[in-house]
Amino acid sequence: MKEICDRTRDLGPFEPKPGDDQIVCRCEEVTQGEIRRAVHDGLFTIAEIRRYLRCGMGLCQGQTCSRLVKGIVARELGVSPDELEPASSRAPMRPIEMSVFAKEAERDER
Amino acid sequence: MSDKTSDVIVVGAGIIGCATAYYLAKKGVSVTILEADEVIGNGGSTRNGGGVRQSGRDPRELPLAMYAVKNLWPTLSEELGADVEYCQGGNLRLGKTERHLEILRGLRDKAVALGLDMRMIDGDEVRAINPYLSEEVIGASWCPTDGHANPLKATYAYYTAARRLGARFYSGCPVLELRKVKGELRQVVTPEGTFEAGSVVVAAGYDSRKILNTVGIDVPMSNVLIEALVTEMEPPMFKQMLGTADADFYGHQTSHGSFVFGGDSGFETVNEDNGHDRTTSVTAPAICRGILRYIPKLANAKIVRTWAGFEDVCIDGVPVLGPVDEVPGLVVACAFTGHGFGISPIVGTLLAESALGEPTTLDISAFRYDRFAARA
Amino acid sequence: MNRTDIIVVGAGPAGMSAAIEAAKRGAHVTVFDENSRPGGQLFKQIHKFFGSKEHHAKIRGFVIGEELMEEAARLGVDVRLDSTVIGLYQDKEVVVREGEEVSHHKADAIVIATGAAENMVTFEGWTLPGVIGAGAAQTMMNLHGVRPGERVLMLGTGNVGLVVSYQLKQAGCDVVALVDAAPRVGGYGVHAAKVARTGVPFYLSHTIKRAEGTDHVTGVTIAQVDSHFQFVPGTEKHFDVDTICVAVGLSPMSQLFKMDGCKVVDDRKKGGQVPVVDDLGETSTPGIFAAGDVSGIEEASSAMIEGRIAGLAAAEYLGFIDKDEMDKAVVANDAALDGLRQGMFAPKNRGKLVTTTEEGIPVSQSLLEHGYVADDEIARFPGVTRRVGIHPVIECTQNIPCNPCQDACPKHCIKVGDHITQLPAVEANSACIGCGMCVASCPGQAIFLVDEKDEEGFADVTLPYEFLPVPAKGERGVALGRDGSPVCEAEVVSVRQTRAFDHTALLTMRVPADMAMRARFFRAGSAGAAANETSAAAATAAAE
Repeated sequence: MKEICDRTRDLGPFEPKPGDDQIVCRCEEVTQGEIRRAVHDGLFTIAEIRRYLRCGMGLCQGQTCSRLVKGIVARELGVSPDELEPASSRAPMRPIEMSVFAKEAERDER
Repeated sequence: MSDKTSDVIVVGAGIIGCATAYYLAKKGVSVTILEADEVIGNGGSTRNGGGVRQSGRDPRELPLAMYAVKNLWPTLSEELGADVEYCQGGNLRLGKTERHLEILRGLRDKAVALGLDMRMIDGDEVRAINPYLSEEVIGASWCPTDGHANPLKATYAYYTAARRLGARFYSGCPVLELRKVKGELRQVVTPEGTFEAGSVVVAAGYDSRKILNTVGIDVPMSNVLIEALVTEMEPPMFKQMLGTADADFYGHQTSHGSFVFGGDSGFETVNEDNGHDRTTSVTAPAICRGILRYIPKLANAKIVRTWAGFEDVCIDGVPVLGPVDEVPGLVVACAFTGHGFGISPIVGTLLAESALGEPTTLDISAFRYDRFAARA
Repeated sequence: MNRTDIIVVGAGPAGMSAAIEAAKRGAHVTVFDENSRPGGQLFKQIHKFFGSKEHHAKIRGFVIGEELMEEAARLGVDVRLDSTVIGLYQDKEVVVREGEEVSHHKADAIVIATGAAENMVTFEGWTLPGVIGAGAAQTMMNLHGVRPGERVLMLGTGNVGLVVSYQLKQAGCDVVALVDAAPRVGGYGVHAAKVARTGVPFYLSHTIKRAEGTDHVTGVTIAQVDSHFQFVPGTEKHFDVDTICVAVGLSPMSQLFKMDGCKVVDDRKKGGQVPVVDDLGETSTPGIFAAGDVSGIEEASSAMIEGRIAGLAAAEYLGFIDKDEMDKAVVANDAALDGLRQGMFAPKNRGKLVTTTEEGIPVSQSLLEHGYVADDEIARFPGVTRRVGIHPVIECTQNIPCNPCQDACPKHCIKVGDHITQLPAVEANSACIGCGMCVASCPGQAIFLVDEKDEEGFADVTLPYEFLPVPAKGERGVALGRDGSPVCEAEVVSVRQTRAFDHTALLTMRVPADMAMRARFFRAGSAGAAANETSAAAATAAAE
């Protein structure tokens, strides 16, 4: 069983670290400390961290912070970042206004 | 994994499984939760629209929703030690035509008969409650005690709270088989080994079907892929949960400002089920068109994400809940048909009671597994 | 639903190359790009490219971009700009935003060449305005003609950090320091050396402790880190800056593959999450191909070759050519790609410490630790020879895949040899005529002409100069050493600018004879005066 799947694993008490007040996800203003604490609370996968804290779920869709968040979670769990499943990628690849998404172009004859 | 024996095993770590585990752990019962996915709550629990709604429910289900809204949701954040963003902002179900209003009146009549505060209001009153709604809306049903919460926060709040109380969660651990010992369900077989317990709660969404099949139980349900979307953060606009008589969209504004909306393209029932939860190229645009007909002000709100999720749709529209007489030791909770989130706190409570053979807080006989019968 | 043979996502070097190869074989190709200008990063690249002459060496990036666009246009490729691909859906369907509406397009093959995005690091104050990606700074300068700031600190000594630092200097910014947490310079030594000789100090084993300022950056404090990347107390250094550029690597933008369900893996050597592809760039979804940085961070040169291979493979997949024809064309491209993937900086050597060159010469430690080859190290390299009279001095000390100097010399004085990564050597009996073609052709600006006139007590040093204003003949100033510190007074005795030099001015300065092998840059004015130069190439790029 993968380490991240055994949720009975006790990571020990949460110890504050320097940099915990630093923002990691700037779109949703999530700090390093919040991410570390969530891992200690049993949220061991990137998907769970994103859904619980919203980091990587803002306007840039994690383009900036994904790698950083992954690094923090992996460090907290004592695993390699490669072992963590990447966050899913969902449309739209770039934010799009509702009115634009709603409007389908006529088929072009070019 | 060391300890494979516990009082109760819960199969499925969605919000139903996590809530059940929480209420069991709170009673001091040892509980093991087995989740097939690597991610906790990766099914409908974290993909739904977050409605905590009583109005529009099937009369069989309404007492559960009313109980949850009255007794559980208001204190849930406090109870679980995490903000589940519960907001009792009311529910407006919108109508644009006389036919729509007819549908809404029908829903109201059923709800009022069971004691729910729900009434019809005209277009002006609708816009007094929510000034962003277009003039096309000519009326709505209004249930002031409905609302919404954050399903992601609620799911993980139940999970983390249960875990703190000692519930043993294993993800990435699919159940291969349920096994009886001397006539009673006692064992759960997984690739990680066989787990044992006095009773087993199966709350695994549509996947419950093949798990239950291993002990000869088959729930008449189908697997339907539906989609939702979320916008960037917007300034606070309204607190109501919205739906429409035409069912062209539903949704609300979350506490952090983004809008979560769901809806459909109309092709859902015939879409190819290729096993993965991929969005289609036509659904989100259709949902957007639906929304903008009612809330034109959102034209420039930017969508940042769309997603899809499976609904376990029951043949008669309400879930299967409770002990299964044919298999002593088995408790079932599936086929929620897309409205399990709002009732999850009470369902968790009821399942915990059922698993321990205690009398249940509410009568759940209407949800029995053996209620289904073929055409006479 | 719109329908075409092949959809290419991304009009950068890889995407355009793929489109061109497929269109040559008769396929209808539509290219979507979210930017208003095609070329991806090419139009930001105002420096000359490395490589061999067959593969655009010594040509400036933006010129390569123009060539690709012209060829695509000739072949009838439909390049749609300001067209953002919103998603890749089932059955090779892309939804594209164009203007204020979306359209649906299906193809029978798709080439995804979406490139990469800049990485970030966090430090106290990293969210302050004024902390920007180096690539963003490059876009501001080279595409929009906007200077990102006045005083800049660069974090990261990979090629991006080095090249952008140089371009910041060209744009007239004061680059106060190049900083890297690693103990050694990450990018090409020649890129480092051309920055170092202008006087920019390198701080290796240092990183940013905090960005200072309340509503924007007003300063930065760096400090030394130990081998575990922990700050060493008492080593803090402060700089007044208004801009901090971050060049800490790129990550492939592989989201479309993930959305499609193509198999992706985390591969640190490739820079992050990349699709699993075969030799032709085909992913686990038949008919969906990857090319360029999105399948692993490399140079634009290799992106173009990967693009060509993917374009050929897509054409074969759709029956526009048979397998034999594809194989033949692919073999040539494979060889070229293999050539580019040699040397000390090859992908396979990423993270490895190379201590000797292929020729067995110890690598300059000073170059790795300070950004320049020390005066007492330079003589050991084969391009560095001394004699009376004019001759080239080639300060190319690392094995990189590049050889335009060899062909530049009309007198065949310079030899790289068949193996493109070998260090250039100056032939012993060569007859240098001082034409300067080698100086202008070297993408690393590592070639100088030295005319040692011992009897007269001075030497003339000719160097490549890409700043504005170009000093005039007769102008006096200071000669700077490889480390950027003043070594002696100097006078400009000639400035040559010809079309063949492609915007690289050849500046010849006269220095005392004993400075012939030390003086490597010219700064107008007295020793203390700050340089105020603007890039000749940048100005040209903007004008064109």
